[in-house]
Amino acid sequence: MEFRLIAPELILAGLGLSLVTLGAVVKKNSRALAVVGVVGSLAALAVVLANFGLTQDLFSNQLRHDAYASFFKVVFLVILILLFTGSAQYVRDRRMPAGEFYALTTLATLGGFLMAGSLDLITIFLGLELLSIASYALAGLLKGDPRSQEASIKFFLVGALTTAVILFGISLLYGLAGTTSLTGIAAAVAGLSSAEFPLLAAAGLFLLAGLGVKIAAVPFHMWAPDTYDGAPTPVSAFLITASEAAAFAVLLRLFAVALPSLAERWQLILGLMALVTMTYGNVTAILQTRTKRMLAYSAIAQAGYVLVGLAVASPSGVSAVLYYVLVYALMTVGAFTVVLLLAGESLGEEIADFNGLSRRSPLVALMVTILMLSLIGIPPTAGFFGKLLLYRAAVDSGMVWLGLATVLNGVVSVPYYYRIVRNMYLEQGTTTAALTPTVPIAIVLILAVGGTLLLGIVPEPLARVVAAISLTP
Amino acid sequence: MQLPLTYVLSFSALLFGIGLYGALTLQNAIRILMCIEIMLNAVNVNLIAFSRYLSPLQPAGQAFVIFVMTVAAAEVAVGLAIILMIARRRDTIDIDRMNLLKW
Amino acid sequence: MSAYTPLFIYVLFALLVPIVISLIATYVGPRSPEPAKYLPYESGYPTPPLMGRFSVKFYLIAMLFVVFDVEAVAFYPWAVSLKDLGPWGFYVMVPFLIVFILGDLYVWKKGGFEWQ
Repeated sequence: MEFRLIAPELILAGLGLSLVTLGAVVKKNSRALAVVGVVGSLAALAVVLANFGLTQDLFSNQLRHDAYASFFKVVFLVILILLFTGSAQYVRDRRMPAGEFYALTTLATLGGFLMAGSLDLITIFLGLELLSIASYALAGLLKGDPRSQEASIKFFLVGALTTAVILFGISLLYGLAGTTSLTGIAAAVAGLSSAEFPLLAAAGLFLLAGLGVKIAAVPFHMWAPDTYDGAPTPVSAFLITASEAAAFAVLLRLFAVALPSLAERWQLILGLMALVTMTYGNVTAILQTRTKRMLAYSAIAQAGYVLVGLAVASPSGVSAVLYYVLVYALMTVGAFTVVLLLAGESLGEEIADFNGLSRRSPLVALMVTILMLSLIGIPPTAGFFGKLLLYRAAVDSGMVWLGLATVLNGVVSVPYYYRIVRNMYLEQGTTTAALTPTVPIAIVLILAVGGTLLLGIVPEPLARVVAAISLTP
Repeated sequence: MQLPLTYVLSFSALLFGIGLYGALTLQNAIRILMCIEIMLNAVNVNLIAFSRYLSPLQPAGQAFVIFVMTVAAAEVAVGLAIILMIARRRDTIDIDRMNLLKW
Repeated sequence: MSAYTPLFIYVLFALLVPIVISLIATYVGPRSPEPAKYLPYESGYPTPPLMGRFSVKFYLIAMLFVVFDVEAVAFYPWAVSLKDLGPWGFYVMVPFLIVFILGDLYVWKKGGFEWQ
């Protein structure tokens, strides 16, 4: 039984190891590696879906299999499969080391699995590091490109410092509770005297600051635009979606399961963080002229929206977070796939590269428009429904100001998303040659845009699934 | 006679402070890496001390230290590889000079 | 209550140390910037360029050594408690070893061990 439940993890570990071995042996054929990667991740996805409803503690409580973890695993695998499919050409064109790229992405995803699927600080730490260390190397995979190098070193130094800060918080929590299990910590913390409170608060703040860096929340966001801009495009997409989702999974588990006794305090802190993060991200994104940098600030703003759900921390807040994380992954991977498509002709780095896209390929332009509408949060797209859930959760638990801030920020974000749409339809491009996506990129775009539309038009089935997922064991 | 826990904890807090100060003020990437290692060692001292003084029968803290050490080594190796890659290309590892990416 | 005053002091320490050090450095340190101060000095001889003194190969070997050396730490607690863990404890180490060896082979294949 235990091995059946960790089969997805085992598949990913085996896949990562075989990809790196294959990559060292097979030098030329990077497409074969992508195929192996996609097939392996599909197998893992099938097992995760087959085990979805089961709840069990595994391996002396080091791992926990429940619907919450399974949902995040589905999100990670969807991201992984779409990225593997869409990035094969980019990897070949830029001469990225293919074996290393596919293997490290797979192993980083495994790290995300451990983070989402554990109630023990040791395992969570190991998952976090597996994800982070793989990401540092991934960001620098374009070895000859100084921008990629710079993204990598900045990401590494900030990330390593963050690790130390998170660990210090963990060590204080361990000292207070005498155990590393989140449920054990919750029990111990409930019995603490008021004299011990400052130490507990310090531990909580260390952890919040550390995980705040990982989700790129203001004021811990400095590294994010540089890293997301300079890293190879598929890696940026992976970091913005999977890596942030994993940090959200841990943050939510940590504060809701281990530290519920601090609830009213951290709710306010997270609420303010959400407000500042989304406002800062949206306002700064308006000023950007580079596509990936604009998407990076947009990612900061979107992290702010998800933080709203964390700040609320009611069951409806949790399900809103889950819904939004999945929707956000689809929208972002879709948007980055368009950048990958344009990168095939050495375009897409500047927002001006979108000029006249509607004449080059009306269909792609329409898809980008749908993605942008969804990122703003306009019906009938999934982004609208996700924001609606977040807004409702905030208002229902009495944080009306936060709900209003979410809505207002949607309005603030219109200019920069609209600029892309306007460039595509109203501006004159440098070329009018027809743009035909390759088959893999077309598949990814159809899946991402189709998913965004489908979840916006028929949101109820997924909304029911996420409403049934609870955090507490 | 046993050393009071407070002494050990003060020592590790000092270590952490020194490391944090260095990591935030220095410019040389290798030195920053060394300061981060100092911070990680402060964490290790903390974990060992708590484990030894508060729950000597359940050495979870000591097991944790082994993980922290091995993971830190992996992190350092990746970090050194990145720094090496940059040093080969730019002849400098001064992080103040890494300013290609700016808004 | 009084039993936990040390913990307060501890937190205070963690905050004070970096603040105090930076304040001291800012206010007490004498400032007379002089370009000559930033030049290396070696008993009056001209200094050779620092980079290029050590071959980059040393760094690569050092890096690989660190990884393989420290990962071996995981074997010590395993070896000490192997008697209590029984056969199961022995077999769970096999996957770890396989990963270890795969890493070794990868470095070998990529030419990490070649000195020239």
